[in-house]
Amino acid sequence: MDFWYTYIVLAEIYVLLGLSTNLLVGIVGIFSVSQAAVFGVGAYIVAAATMNDTLSFVPALLIASACGLALNVLVTLPSLRVSGDYFVVTSFGIQLLATAIFTNWTEGTGGANGLPGIPPPDIFGLAVTETRQFLVLSSVLLSLGCLAFWLAMRAPYGRLLRAIREDELAVAAAGKNILFAKVSAAALAGAFAGSAGGLYGSFLSFVDPSSFDLDASILLLTMVVVGGARTLTGSIIGPFVLLALPQLLALVDIPTTIAAASRQLIYGVLLIAFMLFRPQGLAGEKL
Amino acid sequence: MILLQLLINGLVTGCALGVVAISFSLVYSTIKIFHVAHAGVYTLAGYIAWSLSTRGVPSLLAFAGAIAFCALVGAGIQQFLYRQLERRRASHLVVLIASLGMLAVIQNLIAGIYTPNILQFQIGWSQTTLRVAGVLLSYTQLLTVAMGIAAYLGMMFFAHRTALGKRIRAVASNPFLADITRLEPKRVYVIVIAIASAVVALPGVLVPLDFGLQPYSGVNALLTATIAMIAGGIGSISGAFFLAIGIAVVQNLSLLVIPGEWSIGVTFFIFVIFMLFRPTGLFTAR
Amino acid sequence: MTQKLRIVLAALVSTLALAGAAMAETVRLGAILPLTGPGAVIGTQQQRGIQLAVEQINAKGGVLGNPIEVIFEDNQAKPDQSVLSFNKLVDLQHVPMIFSAYSGPTLAMAPLATRKKILLVNGGAQADKLADASPYLINTIPTIGGEVEVMVRYLMSQGKKTGAILFENDAAGISGRDNYLKYYPAGGGTLVGQEPTQFGQTDFRPALLKVGAANPQVMLVAITAGLQQMAQQYKQLDQKYQVAGTSFFADPQTIADPAAEGFIHTQVRIDAPAELADAFKKKFDANFDFFAKQYYNATLVVAKALEKVLADKQPVTGENLRQAIFDIRSFQGLIPMEFKSNTATMVMDINVMRGGKDVRLTEMKSE
Repeated sequence: MDFWYTYIVLAEIYVLLGLSTNLLVGIVGIFSVSQAAVFGVGAYIVAAATMNDTLSFVPALLIASACGLALNVLVTLPSLRVSGDYFVVTSFGIQLLATAIFTNWTEGTGGANGLPGIPPPDIFGLAVTETRQFLVLSSVLLSLGCLAFWLAMRAPYGRLLRAIREDELAVAAAGKNILFAKVSAAALAGAFAGSAGGLYGSFLSFVDPSSFDLDASILLLTMVVVGGARTLTGSIIGPFVLLALPQLLALVDIPTTIAAASRQLIYGVLLIAFMLFRPQGLAGEKL
Repeated sequence: MILLQLLINGLVTGCALGVVAISFSLVYSTIKIFHVAHAGVYTLAGYIAWSLSTRGVPSLLAFAGAIAFCALVGAGIQQFLYRQLERRRASHLVVLIASLGMLAVIQNLIAGIYTPNILQFQIGWSQTTLRVAGVLLSYTQLLTVAMGIAAYLGMMFFAHRTALGKRIRAVASNPFLADITRLEPKRVYVIVIAIASAVVALPGVLVPLDFGLQPYSGVNALLTATIAMIAGGIGSISGAFFLAIGIAVVQNLSLLVIPGEWSIGVTFFIFVIFMLFRPTGLFTAR
Repeated sequence: MTQKLRIVLAALVSTLALAGAAMAETVRLGAILPLTGPGAVIGTQQQRGIQLAVEQINAKGGVLGNPIEVIFEDNQAKPDQSVLSFNKLVDLQHVPMIFSAYSGPTLAMAPLATRKKILLVNGGAQADKLADASPYLINTIPTIGGEVEVMVRYLMSQGKKTGAILFENDAAGISGRDNYLKYYPAGGGTLVGQEPTQFGQTDFRPALLKVGAANPQVMLVAITAGLQQMAQQYKQLDQKYQVAGTSFFADPQTIADPAAEGFIHTQVRIDAPAELADAFKKKFDANFDFFAKQYYNATLVVAKALEKVLADKQPVTGENLRQAIFDIRSFQGLIPMEFKSNTATMVMDINVMRGGKDVRLTEMKSE
């Protein structure tokens, strides 16, 4: 059973992260490819804090989401000045900068070797060691995340964010505070990504830079796109489908010598096919 | 001495990157597509040349074959992917993601056919070195510099002096007007991407002569090239080319002052800061 | 009476059936290797080594009549995929042992292996942390520290007392660098510089030039990819220092390249008979290289342990396999090796690349 639990826990963590990406990319229209960097910072903070017994899991996770919040506001700041493709490239740059720091700041992050032996979460004296216990923890956090996302989208605030994406000038002309709306959306997205990172690190008991690189950011984007942008359902479906995909493709009998590359190949084909024939993803709105 | 050698090394790498940058810039400023799959075409060039040359085709002929093949692939991507997306009124984001998908397809086709191992050309002259003014350079490096300068001058001449080049620039500056004045932007787009793919195939075959072939190596080159394009001002051929050289030289020389681990990090740090304060680039085309 | 007989007969039949089933039962093992992405270069070789060994064992009737099957999982050299694959193999396929590679993924799986009592066998990763990551992690290759210690002893005996390091900025390379930093000065040498390169990045010129400017007698290398390109650029730049490295240097193309003439390296001795190399070449159309040999060898170790567990009529569990390895202790796979701890001790050579061949200079032992 642990396999299924592991799958669900990882998918749930990515859903939390997907909500964050969806909020930025889908709803506000800030095309960020550096969400994995924020995710990573959350993971490293919880790892470092709980490994040295400086903090227990709960306060460490709170700090991770606070740092995620602050950092995400910081990295989306350029979007206020530059837009479109310029921001995409800036965001690529931020992601690579983060990877360089994760890899080279050996004292803090363990460098390329990573940090092994992160203790399991400890919720007010109750150690979460079994995968099924962790499933409860991640499900609770995810439900909170989903609730926050749903409430925000239902509120006038959600409509304001959507309006900004459609026509920023008109919204500004109507006297709405665009700066506040964008920054607060980035903050919410950052808090999601930071806490997802914290969960990820303590679940795997190991973090290294390879989980938070450019590929991870792109995978995340793919999850949102395949699931469907702008909707809660889409954000949930995407990670579950994409994490299941390699497992399903493994069942297809391909000669082992080319199996590897062909699996990744199918992945690319799927991306193209979705964009051509179903850009709204499985359960989203048209991008 | 080491300063000079590093400087030259940066110039050589920069020439190759510069050509990637001007070819990408051509696509971007005309078709307005963030053509990430360009990195795949770049990688493909080397592998095609390798295939031909290991089958005994003389090297120059093998290179020409690779360049022609890449032009076809580029045109195919425009015709069968981007054009279909445009017909469906796909948003910018959708096109970018489709292009990322195309990149994954090309890279993994290569990895599937040629294995992910680093392959090396078996061309004798590519390893021979010459001492020029106290600096050691291989034939490949000399050829790369010559190719870079030729591609840059060729592109400048093409864009400003030829009828097709002027037509492309007209389409780039106003596709709508071009459409009604029968400049046929759709055909121009196919031609543009074919030219850009042929041009990027030049460093695509020369760089692996020196550094070997790897299926996933195109992304880094493209990213640096993109940064050069943006920092140089979109639409400016000279800006893209010289900025790319500048970045490569700085990355090489920076080794003298900062530990090598940080050279990539520092490059992107400077870029992010730059984007915050001067997002329109250094040499913006008017 | 008839009823009694019937019961006896039934019991007899079922015992026979059970025994029969046990005799021919396929033993399923797992392997979690990077089969896609940049790590696939080495991962594919490792997979082939295992495949060849399994094929040959099964052709001879399996282990005590039980055929072996290895289920391969791709982890893309990523820790999270590894954990997912680990749980998949253990929960759904019930494998008692898993072949693993690459330091990051192996370290991520180690705590799970301890918790679930699954034997992990690593024949490729050499990070020092692997030595004591889990009692259930067996390394059939020495850690990089073992190799570096031997190399430093050799260099000192040759009077090469100033050195500079060239390392790849990833887990394997940094582990190498850290060991050079530890052993080289301890042996009496002086380090005059260290230069990093990125994994998969094959422009070594700036780093080589900078090493050259520091004017060392020897460049200590810890890179896993692009060795041939490094050799060619070293030659083109006309550098004069000695180049020294570890088992990662055993790349056939580099050895064959005249640019690598005179490179020395430690070599975990792993000899394959010519017919084995031919069989490999025939099956995969590729050379039987270092990592393929290592995993072929690791598969032999596991098969030997499995044989003991089966012969002792014990259930095939990770715990029993692990115990069997320590009970047998000395193995004769492709090479002799001994498990005094979780990490095998084996003979190590100092080789030099000369005339397109890897020539043994002297034999040493890791301590």
